[in-house]
Amino acid sequence: MSTDTGQKRIAIMVGAGYIPGINAVVAGASLAAGKLGWELVGILDGFDGLLHPEKYPNVGLIPIDPQVLNMDPNTSSVLGQSSRIDPFNVRTINELEMVEEVDMSDELLEKLKAENIDAVISIVGGRGLSILYQLHKKGLNAVCVPRSIENEIASTSVSFGFNTALTFTIDMLDRARLAAKAAHKIAVVEVQGEEAGWIALQAGIAVAADAVLIPEIPVDLKNVATHLKNKMVGKKSWGLVVVAQGVKIINQPKNDEPVSSLKASLSPLATSYSNSEFVIHKSGQAAQAVADGLQLRIAEETFPMVIGPWVRGGAPSAVDRQLGVAYGAGAIQAIEAGKNGVMVAFVPPDVKFVPLAEAINKVRTIPDESMFFQVADSLGIYVGN
Amino acid sequence: MTNQTNNILDITGRVLNIQRYCSHDGPGIRTNVFIKGCSLRCKWCGNPESIGMKPEVSYDPKKCEGKKCGICLKAPFPEGGYYFVEGDDSKVKVNWQLAAGTTEEMVSLCPNGALEMFGKIMTVREVMDEVEKDASIYRSSGGGLTISGGEVMLQPDFAAALLQEAHNSGINTAIETACNAPWSFLEKVLPHVDIMLHDLKLMNSERHKKWTGVGNERILANFKKAYETFPHIDFIARTPLIPGVNADDEHILGVLEFIRPHKNVIDYELLPYHRFGLGKYESLGVVYELDDYKTPSDEVVKRFQAMIDEAFGRTPEAK
Amino acid sequence: MIKSLGHAGTHRRVAINVGSGFVPGTNAVVMGVAIAGGKLGWEMIGVRDGFGGLLYPERYPAGGLINLSPELIENLDPSTGGILGQAPRIDPFHTSTVQGDEVDLSDQILKRLKEEDIDALISIVSGQGLGILQKLHFKGLHTVCIPRSIENDIAATAVSFGFNSALSVTIEMLNKAYQAARSASKIAVVEVPGEQAGWIALQAGIAVRADAVLMPEIPCDLRNLAKRLKDKISVRRPYGLVVVAEGAKFVDYTEIRDNHSFGISTESITAGQVAGTVATRLQKLITAETHPLVIGSWARGGNPTATDHQLGMAYGAGSIQVLKAGQNGVMVSFMPPDIRFVPLADAVNKVRTVPADSEFMRIAQSLGIYLGQGL
Repeated sequence: MSTDTGQKRIAIMVGAGYIPGINAVVAGASLAAGKLGWELVGILDGFDGLLHPEKYPNVGLIPIDPQVLNMDPNTSSVLGQSSRIDPFNVRTINELEMVEEVDMSDELLEKLKAENIDAVISIVGGRGLSILYQLHKKGLNAVCVPRSIENEIASTSVSFGFNTALTFTIDMLDRARLAAKAAHKIAVVEVQGEEAGWIALQAGIAVAADAVLIPEIPVDLKNVATHLKNKMVGKKSWGLVVVAQGVKIINQPKNDEPVSSLKASLSPLATSYSNSEFVIHKSGQAAQAVADGLQLRIAEETFPMVIGPWVRGGAPSAVDRQLGVAYGAGAIQAIEAGKNGVMVAFVPPDVKFVPLAEAINKVRTIPDESMFFQVADSLGIYVGN
Repeated sequence: MTNQTNNILDITGRVLNIQRYCSHDGPGIRTNVFIKGCSLRCKWCGNPESIGMKPEVSYDPKKCEGKKCGICLKAPFPEGGYYFVEGDDSKVKVNWQLAAGTTEEMVSLCPNGALEMFGKIMTVREVMDEVEKDASIYRSSGGGLTISGGEVMLQPDFAAALLQEAHNSGINTAIETACNAPWSFLEKVLPHVDIMLHDLKLMNSERHKKWTGVGNERILANFKKAYETFPHIDFIARTPLIPGVNADDEHILGVLEFIRPHKNVIDYELLPYHRFGLGKYESLGVVYELDDYKTPSDEVVKRFQAMIDEAFGRTPEAK
Repeated sequence: MIKSLGHAGTHRRVAINVGSGFVPGTNAVVMGVAIAGGKLGWEMIGVRDGFGGLLYPERYPAGGLINLSPELIENLDPSTGGILGQAPRIDPFHTSTVQGDEVDLSDQILKRLKEEDIDALISIVSGQGLGILQKLHFKGLHTVCIPRSIENDIAATAVSFGFNSALSVTIEMLNKAYQAARSASKIAVVEVPGEQAGWIALQAGIAVRADAVLMPEIPCDLRNLAKRLKDKISVRRPYGLVVVAEGAKFVDYTEIRDNHSFGISTESITAGQVAGTVATRLQKLITAETHPLVIGSWARGGNPTATDHQLGMAYGAGSIQVLKAGQNGVMVSFMPPDIRFVPLADAVNKVRTVPADSEFMRIAQSLGIYLGQGL
């Protein structure tokens, strides 16, 4: 394992969507780079700072110094934000004034070379990780810092962003519980968790919810209704159901009407495409579906609430700030150790470097034997069979 | 797609689907040929599979056999494109970013047809074989062939050839288009068109750009030139009605104003926003951007319809 | 009829109850009342669920009335609400029965109070509850009321308890909304509590430097709002925040366009729908995208702030002082720095809205926050 000598120029960028704590990662990388005498620059707004430099007063790269650690935690990331970072499918208007997606990955790599960037640290999760992997296969020296609200990136025990989201979710669920109690209704609260139910289950346990519905266990609302009814016999006139966004509901009454001709003409594949019953489409839809489904089966009024939009703002928790700084420094360590194409993974008490090829497509769902299930069970929380 | 072939029946195009017995794509009962590729990116689009020019893979988990098959996990399928979640190997999952290189040949390797490609190459001959099946129905109902998409004008040679062949067989032709393409493309297609249904999505160019990706100057110029250059075509204006975007008096009146001077614009149709296509976003792994919008209310649509009827000098029953 | 007082200011048994609607921190008030009353040697009795514990004692296995003894109070957690539950949303003078007719339960309430030997009732209520208590007072009930409102719209008192907690939560949520809007490059349109008055909207809007605050006090023409937003939103700052009170009113501009005159009608929209409606209408007037969010239920749950703890205790203790001073048919009022009392008539059927010359309005305007006035 050769360690490189000499000054290096490292670029750091962040993936789509805001997560609290990005500045902490940047600060960690900055401090570590500083100690080695390396230069750290930030690419603004995903890769836009390099791909579309004309949009920025100063080329779209900004120098980063450790002062960023002192920034107000309530401000947004110093690296800007973007909703799309995929350099393989950049939406442009061509010379014929038509919109198309263009592969600008070669251009991106050239620009990185032209700027003398030795390596890129990418604070991404999920899709961003795959994009980074594709760039790495084309020759990019890349290190990934995993970020995830759901904590479903398997190769690392804890992604940063999870703790903040969990703390916030528990806080909100407390409020929801009080609101439900006051109104004598059943609150059905939708929380983050497209592929894994960590947030839903851990938060649900913390507030002793009545039921927690997670993607790992497809749920029949009939059983949930029965459980709620049993619990509410006697004095309790309210309830709290926590629903992960990606929950799968089975045995829904099917909609068997034939495809209308209007639908057929507006939608080329309407006649050949069948809608999967497993698909939930938008934020709030899971809560709505569960609230409606339960309403059909119990007397008490259900009302849906959604936490989703609120999670994307706010300051990082203390844990995430520490974790963020550690991850940032870890990324610099990886580069120093000559590692290329890796993800920094936190496997307590060590920091490890996992090759990107092994890190992609690994989703950490809650295993059957997880102690969380046992705890939930002993608290009388319905999680499904 | 241009071809150096003398026989127009051999010209090829990328087709998404051919749908028979359509009654909302022009008069009578028609066969609608949807071609792939669009030059706009409307945020409300209900047909995401028609947007990209390249063929795209779609996945139906219901048909997947699970780990005992595992064919898509290995070459020739793109590395990392398909995977299983540890602890749940009942259905393959698709990594949309990495699955992007999947081809028609690869997809045919899936034993259960869980993977499909949107958009296959077809010749004019193959398409006409389908279209001609309903020739007698077109005659009796006053219907015919409609080409839509995607954007018809993006495959001008293919579309022109198809329409020409239809005419050769005595079949009435219609197209549905947004006309975001150079006039030279339109020039190839329009001589063979009997009816043109065309979309006026937003009259304000700045907002048009925000919602569809480009301004509307060229589009409106195209429409005007088409009205003037092709007096024999029956033009039908259309608006997909999206609350919060264009479902207001200002837009309806703006459109009526625009089409008023042209007598060959014979009607203006409203298409209320629908969420039919959302399931397809999921199967393509695309994020749907218009999360919060609803279908316009019946009364709003009725009111606009009354305004249109009045402008065309019709009483509602006479329509 | 309740027997009249022995000598002015001396009571034996005093009851406390809570009106309808949830407000965080009610326990702090109950504690204040119970401790202060206990020190005077009075017996403090809590009534569950408004008048429920009196009218339907059989529904309460643990009893409809609670003896608020010093031991019980010591173990009470002031930061939770709810030891006395709260009244259902019905008017005891016009209560529907299962048979479908309306009955007047007021006589029964007074009778039960007499049966239980209760000399006076302290009621923790909202604006509507005040009206009901006043009517009971006219029928002979000896009562002192404590104002609670998360919207701070009760007249004759500068600060109702519950307001500070709701304001605090709202500011927190608005900060998050602003950041979410920033990261999505949209304009967040956030609906906050305030059906009759814009205190929460205005004060929270100032705290987070919103771009606009829409309140019931100033009907807004959305076209003006759109114009102002266009000035503020740019490529360098493609996001924004509009705070809308639940009861905000709007000048209907479609009518204006057709009738060629101005400000004919104002309309308001159902709570919970306001953000969505405003966002949709605004969407048509500007290029930037809007994103509606509703705070609603989130602000009504949660723990009281330290300020509301103190205020709650002060109100509670204050109500006992007022009773001791021989007052009847009054509401405890907080006019900083004093706790006083005012006749119920001063507060009933009145709403404390934000006055046009309020300091908050001035501050908002100097910060460049658009308040719905003409341009």
